[in-house]
Amino acid sequence: MAELTARMASRQARSNMLERVVAFATVALIVMFSLLIDGFATLGNLRVILSNSASLMMLACGMAVVILSRGLDLSLIAQMIAGATTFSILVSGGVPASLALLLAVAAMVLVGLANAWLIAYVEIPAMLATLASAMFVTGLFRFAVLQGQSLILLPKSDPTVMLLAGDLVPGLSVPVALMFATLGATWFLLRYSVPGRVVYAMGDNFQAARLTGLQVRRTTIAVYVFAALTALFAGLVTAAQSGAVDFRTVTNGTLLFDVILAVVLGGIPLRGGRGSVRNIIVGVALIAVLRNGMTLMNFTTQTQDMLKGLVLIMAIVADNYLNPRDTETDTVGDL
Amino acid sequence: MMYGIGKCLRTAAASLLVGACAVMGVGAPAHADTNIAGKKVIFVPISMGISLTEGWARRMRQHAEIYGYSIDIRDAGFNTGAMSELLAKAISDKPDVLVVHNPTVQLLSRQIKQAESEGIKVLQINLQSNQPSTAFVGANWERIGREIAEDIVKECGAGSGKSGKVAIIPGQLTAADSVMMNDAAFKVFEANKEIQVVSNQASDWEPEKARQITATVLQQHPDLCAIFGHWDVHTMGAGNAVKDAGKADDVLVYSTGGGDDVACKAIEDGIQDRIWSYDADGQGRDAGTMIDLLLQGAAAADGSMLSVESPMKIIKAGDSYDASMCWKM
Repeated sequence: MAELTARMASRQARSNMLERVVAFATVALIVMFSLLIDGFATLGNLRVILSNSASLMMLACGMAVVILSRGLDLSLIAQMIAGATTFSILVSGGVPASLALLLAVAAMVLVGLANAWLIAYVEIPAMLATLASAMFVTGLFRFAVLQGQSLILLPKSDPTVMLLAGDLVPGLSVPVALMFATLGATWFLLRYSVPGRVVYAMGDNFQAARLTGLQVRRTTIAVYVFAALTALFAGLVTAAQSGAVDFRTVTNGTLLFDVILAVVLGGIPLRGGRGSVRNIIVGVALIAVLRNGMTLMNFTTQTQDMLKGLVLIMAIVADNYLNPRDTETDTVGDL
Repeated sequence: MMYGIGKCLRTAAASLLVGACAVMGVGAPAHADTNIAGKKVIFVPISMGISLTEGWARRMRQHAEIYGYSIDIRDAGFNTGAMSELLAKAISDKPDVLVVHNPTVQLLSRQIKQAESEGIKVLQINLQSNQPSTAFVGANWERIGREIAEDIVKECGAGSGKSGKVAIIPGQLTAADSVMMNDAAFKVFEANKEIQVVSNQASDWEPEKARQITATVLQQHPDLCAIFGHWDVHTMGAGNAVKDAGKADDVLVYSTGGGDDVACKAIEDGIQDRIWSYDADGQGRDAGTMIDLLLQGAAAADGSMLSVESPMKIIKAGDSYDASMCWKM
């Protein structure tokens, strides 16, 4: 018994290794950039880093919860843009902002429910189901709702846009406040709620969770609806800040890659079962600092993507070394 | 006397005949063979669904309706890989005219050469490739880059009391417009050493990326004087970042684009300051006209590329602002 507990404890310690390695790498990068780049280590730059990574953090929260339950949501970015589109069209059509927000929430809950239904009840693998729903949602919104447009520009004079991109309190902008709220909600969901506990059980051993009578199907629904809502708020924040709802983020962008990278780098393995909000913060922090530093050093976007890919490879290799698969963790159908 | 009357009659008849011939000769106008109905034109844009290409397509369709030729649009949806495939398919369909919108100077040049060698006339629209073809309709990027750079020198250079710092935000560094505008702009900046280019990061045509780049650059260079965005759409993101930082009065935001009503709205809202519009609506009409001429057999005598440069409309915030300079879809 004591030996079992000791082995489990050492495994926990090992799984925290990647998180510690990444946290150390982030600190090292911060020190290096502070020395090399003028203006990096300032409060203003910190505010810029926070505001630029608000949407990434929110998406990472949604994706992390899904991954923890041993799922994967490839439609997260499509949902982000679809949610922002729904909201923008309603608001520019004269619907009052609060009603438009409610309708957008309802639409996103519907998408999340559809994903969850496909995965929990029809029992299609998460990766395939969400890939299909991503393509469906993108196509539906681009051609039916937007009538072929791939980009809608939002005027800054619109009061809702101004509200979403403005300051809640001087020094704290609405996007950053929403980011902290999402982190808080994720922490509460994972730590203190019943679905949160079931999520960890599902990630650890799905069959055991199901056979012992845990409500895996309902938790799947909760998880995918939560992801859809985080995607919606990330979309609203991005659309308000940049003044545009851009479908090319879905079709051509690397944002989905960035989100999965942030979650994996933070120490949440793709097979799920281990991790918390702290891992999300560490993962996003590394990417945000890396991105900020590379922009300040004037690296092209192609070079930045290349370096991010390199970082991901090193993280996965480190993860494989630090988290070797034994008979308990090596499960069939691993992504 | 009878002989006299007969002579009069013959003279009258003869003069009537000559008169009739003259009238008929003058009345029948000479014209080229405008029977181009039923001919096939294929348009391969980078993407539909943006005001630029939708504006072009609308005008081109109007010309097609007048003459009765068909115009078929193959939408690549911003996917450059798909564009090469769509162009290959379009060439194999053997149209009479192919209208191509090049995302970079290199990507489609081999296929354009192939199309020309197969007898398909290629009209390059607004963004040219390294390969010349039968015709080009579009903006003169060298002129736009040079004029904007000169305006920046005037506003931020010696004697203006500003820092001289400029951030350039291209769409993609290998796109035709960015290559030519940067070449021209850097030549001007070389001659005016007080101007310092602090950033030249591509935004992949995305407003959100442009916003993030601008927010970061503004943080490092709070005394930034001007931003030169290579497309008015992604420069919206940059302009928003400037406005959010409270620097809308200190930083001049320049861009260039098709000049639709969204551009004018941006100037009115203070998101952008000066837009060099190449009037996408007018360009559409130029392209339609060029297609009509190409179908009727127009070509340069020495085989060089026929070129129609789009006239500029410079929309500036302030006293000279005129909302009618923008067109509406």
